[in-house]
Amino acid sequence: MKLFKASCSALLISLAASTAFAEISVIVSASNPNSTMDQATVSKIFLGKAKSFPDGSQALPVDQDEGSAARETFNSTVLGKSASQLKSYWSRLIFTGKGTPPKPSGGDAAVKAIVANNPNIIGYIDSSAVDASVKVVHKF
Amino acid sequence: MQTKKIWAPSILALAIASPAMAGDLNINGFLSVGASMLDKNDAEIAGADNQGGFKSDNVLGLQMQKQVNDTTTITGQLVSRGSDDYQTEAAWAFLTYAATDDLDLRMGRLRIPFFQYSDFLEVGYAYNWVRPQEEVYRVPFSSIDGIDLTQRFSTGDIDGSVQFYYGRYQGDFETSTTAYDADFRNFTGLVLSANSGNFGARVSYHQAELTMDTSDATTALGLAVLGASGIATGLGDPSAAEDFNFTGQTSSFYGAALTYDDGTYSAVAEWTALDHESSLLLDDQGWLVGVAGRFGDFTPHLTYSSEADSFDSGNEGKIQELLPLQDEQTSITLGLRYDYDTSTALKFEIQNNDEETADGVDGDSATLYSVAVDLVF
Repeated sequence: MKLFKASCSALLISLAASTAFAEISVIVSASNPNSTMDQATVSKIFLGKAKSFPDGSQALPVDQDEGSAARETFNSTVLGKSASQLKSYWSRLIFTGKGTPPKPSGGDAAVKAIVANNPNIIGYIDSSAVDASVKVVHKF
Repeated sequence: MQTKKIWAPSILALAIASPAMAGDLNINGFLSVGASMLDKNDAEIAGADNQGGFKSDNVLGLQMQKQVNDTTTITGQLVSRGSDDYQTEAAWAFLTYAATDDLDLRMGRLRIPFFQYSDFLEVGYAYNWVRPQEEVYRVPFSSIDGIDLTQRFSTGDIDGSVQFYYGRYQGDFETSTTAYDADFRNFTGLVLSANSGNFGARVSYHQAELTMDTSDATTALGLAVLGASGIATGLGDPSAAEDFNFTGQTSSFYGAALTYDDGTYSAVAEWTALDHESSLLLDDQGWLVGVAGRFGDFTPHLTYSSEADSFDSGNEGKIQELLPLQDEQTSITLGLRYDYDTSTALKFEIQNNDEETADGVDGDSATLYSVAVDLVF
């Protein structure tokens, strides 16, 4: 069953990757002064290695819920880690008090709403869900 | 021992009593349950014998963390170990003050960062083995009460941290047969770690002044104190016995590790050395080299590890050679980790352990079979 699920999601990811609709956008609030960020900067913020935006203001990453297609694509493309590897990475930090993973905060709509309302928060959503309340800083 | 028990509840009570508005109370936990079986009836590895063991790898940990304000966080971690008859101990209980984005000051009960895997030694989920190799992970205590400073840095492709700590350990010093009352003062150390891409490196230095009660002549060390004095007299050099005690002599620990992980293949090499001013503990070196491959949910891994004691020079060394203290052993571990889901790992392991010398006499070799389930929640 688990293998089946895994291969289904792999299939979904590869299907998703082949259509223009599945493009993911890393977003900040429209009021956030930072413009584009490269993959390394985004990755450092989401792995807890950097705690501020390039302009020096505090950066708080939020994740999508476990199992969302956007999250799996984000993990493998931007962070370059599988879900198990990430769990292992965070368990090394959580249990030493050195860091906590980005909070799972729902899907595209929920993440967009949280990001729009707070200039310190950074998230990622399917590009098709982007509107004027948020600013895209990275796309893949 | 008394202080240890008081620390935990008071810190945790503080965590619970704090107003909820400052931030969430994060509760995380980890659990390892395992069983192991040795193929020899006169040997013991990692607390297992040939009757099968269910207890020694069992660990339950609960951690509570609470952000009190923008700069201050309190963390408490209670760990209950099967190898300690499930006595619950506060492995961590500390207050973190974030002086800057990159500089943390921690105060309280802290894990001693001797090894590459020290910080998450008991979180089995975080590594591939059922348990870290005892040839290297051989220090029988893991926490101090004190303070530490961690400065993180990031330049170009390299990020890392420098950690300095100072504190004291008061508690048991456990050997395979006896628990000695120990008081290790001026416990201090420096750890430098850096990561770049798939590579990681870590070097560390630690030292402490050891005071231990070895007055009981029915214990191995107590007997060795008496033996040393007898042998020293026999050698016509009674003063050579003076260093066979623990009255504040300095012990030093050196560690270096390299890691590689490209997502599919990973490798770790770790070298450590202990240098004791007291002659009652033998200087030694322990190292390991391990490789692993990640294929979907399966991670097979192979590790070789080795530990060997060495003697002091002069008459102290001659006395050491005659006392039943020397150990020398190697082991090969072949294992398979299966990630059942993103928070549960199932592990199978075969470890061949070759004791060339145990307590000064010829040792034996034995094979240990282990299974374990590791969870984080």
